Amino acid sequence: MTELKSSSPLRKTRVLLVQVEGFLDVVSQAALAYEAGMVEYLRNGWTDSVEEKSAQIREYENRGDRLRSEIGTRLYTEMLLPDTVGDVLSLLGALDHLLDILKTNIVMLRIEQPLFPKDYHPALFEMLRATCETVEQTVLASRSYFRDPVTARDQQHKIHFYEDEAERAGLRVQEAIFSSDLPLEEKRQLREHVLRIDRLADLADDAGDALAIFAVKRTL
Amino acid sequence: MTVPFLIFLSSGLFLGWTLGANDAANVFGTAVGSRMVQFRTAAVLCGLFVLVGAVVSGGGASHGLGQLGAVNALGGSFTVALAAAITVYGMTVAGLPVSTTQAVVGAIVGWNLFSATATDLAALTKIAGTWVASPILGALFALILYHAIRLAVRVFKPHVLQLDQMLRAGFIVAGAAGAYSLGANNIANVVGVFVPSSPLQTVSFGPLILSPEQRLFLMGGVAIAIGAMFSRPVMMTVGRSLMPLNPVGGLVVVMAQALVLFIFSSRALQGLLIQIGLPPLPLVPVSSSQAVVGAVVGVSLAHGFRGLRQVQWSVLRNIAVGWVLTPTIAALISYVALYIVQNVFEQEVFRVVGA
Repeated sequence: MTELKSSSPLRKTRVLLVQVEGFLDVVSQAALAYEAGMVEYLRNGWTDSVEEKSAQIREYENRGDRLRSEIGTRLYTEMLLPDTVGDVLSLLGALDHLLDILKTNIVMLRIEQPLFPKDYHPALFEMLRATCETVEQTVLASRSYFRDPVTARDQQHKIHFYEDEAERAGLRVQEAIFSSDLPLEEKRQLREHVLRIDRLADLADDAGDALAIFAVKRTL
Repeated sequence: MTVPFLIFLSSGLFLGWTLGANDAANVFGTAVGSRMVQFRTAAVLCGLFVLVGAVVSGGGASHGLGQLGAVNALGGSFTVALAAAITVYGMTVAGLPVSTTQAVVGAIVGWNLFSATATDLAALTKIAGTWVASPILGALFALILYHAIRLAVRVFKPHVLQLDQMLRAGFIVAGAAGAYSLGANNIANVVGVFVPSSPLQTVSFGPLILSPEQRLFLMGGVAIAIGAMFSRPVMMTVGRSLMPLNPVGGLVVVMAQALVLFIFSSRALQGLLIQIGLPPLPLVPVSSSQAVVGAVVGVSLAHGFRGLRQVQWSVLRNIAVGWVLTPTIAALISYVALYIVQNVFEQEVFRVVGA
């Protein structure tokens, strides 16, 4: 009986839906943990709280990898429309890449532990907020894509807006760094970390652009 | 059943095989081309439902075709079916648009001319009218179905994966219904001309009783079903050419085509229309390919002006050309072939009625 239940196509699809939702939750939670960890780091250095956030992000990244792999296998074995399978896997791949970048950023922060002067903090906080909001909006648009492709397309402008905000704030921080009296190697190290945050917003924006195309393909 | 009868029937069975190999693609092409349904599953389902449709509901369209001309000698039936098959084959090789239905009608008119039997112009007009009506109805059904599904999707907002699951089930159900309608409607093309001259008797297999007509339809249905097993290349071509529509559009096309073939085959529907005081639709074979083209145009129209620009008007023009060209060529080939069969092979191709 259990075997019959688990092999039912409707049940398989329901399991798949739960996994997809779970994956999107993981991306969203990882971005929130990253923002909280970075803010705490900028205020108080590498504390136990930041260590905890770092461990959370690594766990989210592992869970995301597992879920993505399981979803991919299920999508192919259920013989859904190949076009849909391709689009969904591309989207999940782009979001999984965000998880990778989040993990890499926090790991590099832990290794290098750069010292950002307090003067840069307001712009950095602003950049972090805008970056994580870009990721959040991309996750929201992804949720919409699965239920209502028209809404997913309409959410594009928010993703672009926050990515633009993150880029502006990032440029302000870089300009401030290079107009300071810090040694060049320190300037380059700080810039490297700012660019890592900016890359996160860029990739979320790219995922949003791909999502818009997938949504157009699904629009009736 | 005698061996000479089977030899005479071979041209009809060949026509059935070509019809199966080509028209099965209209039913399952989208599903197989998009790899939603495996070819083997599609071919088996198509063959099975074509067979059921032919035996259960094949009588209506076959009777309609018989009104045009009752080919009353086996040699004549063989030659008429052969002329239709040659026309379909020749025009396909020449790259001209062709429909088995129109070739069969032309070949019957050729027999009428050869045997000096008056062609029932009312029946001919009725049949030709359905050629024009079937793509138009295909477009209309597709337009209505597409709007209905679009509305349902917008209201219920199913998850993309659930929608795909439903589409997959829809492709199988619509494909089976399409195959049933194809069998019911197009069996008349395959063995319809053999009905008046058939020497077959009623047989029974336990509770299952098959009339002479149904035995013919069963054999024709088997020929179409075997043809469907060879339809993979056409299915892939049709499937890929229709897929740019989007999956829902593909499903709508199959549903609309099934509906068009059904309304021109169903005696029950005809009876219902008469009962409620509406003019009955003639039961005659129509072209499934042209119904599909009409349905594709219908889906394009559902997208408004943007969709209208994507319609390949040359395809519609070719269909209109085919309405005239195919029956004319088939009538000519039929006339010449009847002359050869009668005078060279000394076979009876018609019986003088009342003699």
